[in-house]
Amino acid sequence: MNIDPIHQFEVQRYADLLRVSGVSFSFTNASAFMIGIVGAIFLFLTFATRGRTLVPGRMQSVAEMSYEFIAKMVRDSAGNEGMVFFPLVFSLFMFVFVANVIGLVPYTFTITAHIIVTAALALLVIGTVVIYGFWRHGTHFLHLFVPSGVPSFLLPFVVLIEVVSFLSRPISLSLRLFANMLAGHIALKVFAFFVVGLSSAGIAGMFGATLPFFMIVALTALELLVAVLQAYVFAVLTSIYLNDAVHPGH
Amino acid sequence: MAFRLGSEFVAGVLVGALIGWGIDTVFDVAPWGMLVFTLVGFGAGVMNMLRAAGETGKKSGPKA
Repeated sequence: MNIDPIHQFEVQRYADLLRVSGVSFSFTNASAFMIGIVGAIFLFLTFATRGRTLVPGRMQSVAEMSYEFIAKMVRDSAGNEGMVFFPLVFSLFMFVFVANVIGLVPYTFTITAHIIVTAALALLVIGTVVIYGFWRHGTHFLHLFVPSGVPSFLLPFVVLIEVVSFLSRPISLSLRLFANMLAGHIALKVFAFFVVGLSSAGIAGMFGATLPFFMIVALTALELLVAVLQAYVFAVLTSIYLNDAVHPGH
Repeated sequence: MAFRLGSEFVAGVLVGALIGWGIDTVFDVAPWGMLVFTLVGFGAGVMNMLRAAGETGKKSGPKA
């Protein structure tokens, strides 16, 4: 019996693809799940929009709802010009959402519980903000760090704080998703081990084990909420940050 | 959304301390870089938090 709540996050190497100066680029269970997630999204959207009926069926409704949901989110926080980023935000939302929900199925691997995955997603967002901001606005993008109406003797200090605040965005964006998924999955595993441990201690233990068992049922529902909510929060924050790239200067 | 505010604050302090540590190692001025930038990070964290609270406040009224 393997009592190790971290075991579920172990990356298993399936095949070594290539080696560049000692660093191995290998195909792992994480890569397999990422491909599976992208494939699932692709199949779902292709299948759902295949009919293209005027009155949508069940599947087409779900696809249209997710489209309108994200489109409204982007338009609300980044305006109509922000809609150039709609494909990015939609892909990120679907990826994180499907990854979180798939991770709740027993025996699956939760890729969003790895900080390297969430950090890569967050860096993609911030990199887009910086590159698009400079490409679109040039040095005017730097006005993002200079709020108007600040007394001149405070300005250097405020600019410093603004820069640190901007740099903390990818950290908070990636840390939040990672910590939520990791903590939830560990909590589920710990309560599951309580059930196993207690029920091996005779009849009294069997009755005692029902308590953590109901806790697992409740926690699973909570984790489903967290999985959906964190995907939503990730997408909302992405569109809020992209708003800075479209409209720099407060 | 309490966790959101907490993580914004922690990220600010973390980044401040990290920058300070980097300055310490590069310019060999320990402990001044870390002292100053942790405080700056503290300020950035508070600002992050206020901004996040403002965003949620705008959408859902003053109760957030």
